Amino acid sequence: MPDHTTEKTALDGLIRPSDRILITGANGFIGLKVLENLLQRGLRNVRCFIRSSRNADQLQKIAAAFKADLHFYHGNLLSQADCSKATKDVTLIYHLAVGPGGKSFPNAFMNTVIPTRNLLTAGCAHNTLKRFVNVSSFAVYSNQHKPRLRWMDESCPLDEHPERRGDAYAYAKLHQDRLVADYCRRSQVEYVIVRPGAVYGPGKKSITGRVGIDTFGIFMHLGGSNQVPFTYVDNCAEAIVLAGLVPGIDQEIFNIVDDDLPTSRRFLTLYKKRVHPVRSIYFPHALSYFLCFLWEKYAQLSEGQLPPVFSRAEWHAYWKKTRYSNEKIKKKLGWTMKVSTAEGLDRYLTSCRNGD
Amino acid sequence: MLKVAIIGCGKIADSHAAQISRIAGCELVAACDREELMAVQLCDRFQIAQHFTDVNALLATVRPDVVHITTPPQYHLQIGTRCLENGCHILVEKPFTLHSGQASKLIELANHKHRILTVGHDAQFSDGACQLRKLVKEGYLGGPPVHIESYWGYDFGDATYAKTLLADRHHWARRLPGGLIHNIISHGMAKIAEFLAGAKPRIIALGFISPFLQSLGENSLIDELRVIIHDENDTTAYFTFSSQMSPSLHQFRIFGPENGLLLDEDKRILIKLPGKSRKSYAEHFIPPFEFAGQYFANLRHNIKLFLKMDFHMDLGKKNLFSDFYNSIKNDAPPPIPYREILLTSVMMDSIFAQIDSAPASSGKIAGGEIAAVHAM
Repeated sequence: MPDHTTEKTALDGLIRPSDRILITGANGFIGLKVLENLLQRGLRNVRCFIRSSRNADQLQKIAAAFKADLHFYHGNLLSQADCSKATKDVTLIYHLAVGPGGKSFPNAFMNTVIPTRNLLTAGCAHNTLKRFVNVSSFAVYSNQHKPRLRWMDESCPLDEHPERRGDAYAYAKLHQDRLVADYCRRSQVEYVIVRPGAVYGPGKKSITGRVGIDTFGIFMHLGGSNQVPFTYVDNCAEAIVLAGLVPGIDQEIFNIVDDDLPTSRRFLTLYKKRVHPVRSIYFPHALSYFLCFLWEKYAQLSEGQLPPVFSRAEWHAYWKKTRYSNEKIKKKLGWTMKVSTAEGLDRYLTSCRNGD
Repeated sequence: MLKVAIIGCGKIADSHAAQISRIAGCELVAACDREELMAVQLCDRFQIAQHFTDVNALLATVRPDVVHITTPPQYHLQIGTRCLENGCHILVEKPFTLHSGQASKLIELANHKHRILTVGHDAQFSDGACQLRKLVKEGYLGGPPVHIESYWGYDFGDATYAKTLLADRHHWARRLPGGLIHNIISHGMAKIAEFLAGAKPRIIALGFISPFLQSLGENSLIDELRVIIHDENDTTAYFTFSSQMSPSLHQFRIFGPENGLLLDEDKRILIKLPGKSRKSYAEHFIPPFEFAGQYFANLRHNIKLFLKMDFHMDLGKKNLFSDFYNSIKNDAPPPIPYREILLTSVMMDSIFAQIDSAPASSGKIAGGEIAAVHAM
């Protein structure tokens, strides 16, 4: 629960403390922390757009802890009418909601891009919207032809065709980002896109695919000595909130990763030691690249008898040796880590062990 | 070259587009969805030249030979009618229509316009289903079917469709006459209809909400269904739909006076069940060897198909679409006889009428009435 003695205040500039803020997906893993962060800053005019009653008790606890009179709007972002009601008098939107999509491209697209369009249409129609913060993903980057070689930062080219690597989520997120940029430019509304790496924290149970996959009954460790682009959920929420409040960052894109990132091998060792033993086999990078190449060629040759889920593009995006920069969020947002990586990993592994 | 268009660009349209692109002699020329962004994303990924948000505009501009209708079933009659009136052959995703009255209308119109239609019952065109059909035609059963069993399981565990459906009280599948099961059971029911010669089957249906769904607060979606069918030729059938039974089966069993056949769609296994028994202890030792041989032959067959690169997940769709297009090109009978489409629809009407007659939300159990159905 929050420490009221260290309450922050809203930053001077774009958003005033009385302005109404909308969070979509407020009851999600990151959304709860974003809400808490906003309330800590004294921003109390917050409306939470939620689709289901998931984590309703946690929302109520947060509201009670801050004595905040939160507005909860139960609706569906696929409904234009719901979006219109939810965005009324809203000055700032944090768009975090992610609908169920799975591996289906139409589902991912329908539950990501269409809700975003509806939200933007409704928000802009009210003429009160000043800024739209879109929560995107690292998945949209190609991680190839980077200006800073192994370093991935905001200048890394995007993957123009995530569909070719069978990545429905990346495809939907790429088109969501484009839609936000186009729509906001035309409507003269400020927008900021944030792209978190692998968000972790208590409540997140699965091991990120950047470490490896367990599709074939044994955990295939693919990350090796790669850094895992972790961001602890509180740190991620801090950056997202700042992206809505800091003035002078219209149309900027920010990657969110923490400092002191562990390697994939280090993380897996800790997980085995602290949570439970995992039978794993390590695939060196050259081997995993070669296997991805073979899979890709066979998927093409057989007209999709094997789905194109492993490919060289997928390897570049997820398992290539890469270092991650967070210079931009530090410099332009004034972001600092609220929870150190050591502390974050400790909390996360403890919660995994306890089955929280 | 057949010009093909897709109307409705949701999840199922993807597998249609993927299989159409694998068939020679046809070209996917346009896609239509009233949500333009959905039409755009399909065209973007499958290199389809034109997208539309209006069915009339598509039909007038592109003049397709064939239209695949992959919208929610509430629109099948309306869109199907418009396509047929514009001279198109149509392939309608399952469930064919909301009820058998609508099914009859579409079939009558297709006959009147000399167009061919079919329904997306692709499970009847899987490799195993085609082999089973061939064996039955060759007389392996030793006479007309005596009894049929069709299992169609559904796994809520990893289904994004189910998550969407459960979270959305206004989801289109909830508004179907049969709710969730209406959208799912056609495959399993159509397999039974194929082997029922009669036109007036009696149906006894029992449906209820599983304890799992009840624990999620669900009080209207029936996800457990058991059906007994008895036609006037005394062929009987059991149909089982379950979201909770493990393993989640997609199995079909058919028994004649002499032999039976078992088809497992998940494992892609077809097993002959000989009726003749051996004497004494031989019955306990020889058949296991024979069954082992059959399972090994299935493995060899599957590997062979895989190596020939003809073992796709949606192979049934490709086979159905190919047969449908060939029937159009050669003016041949449709791949699925209209009698079967209607019979499937009629049996489903009867099931939904029975499970709808009891208060499912309060009493959990619905159905149990006996109803005579006039199929034709």
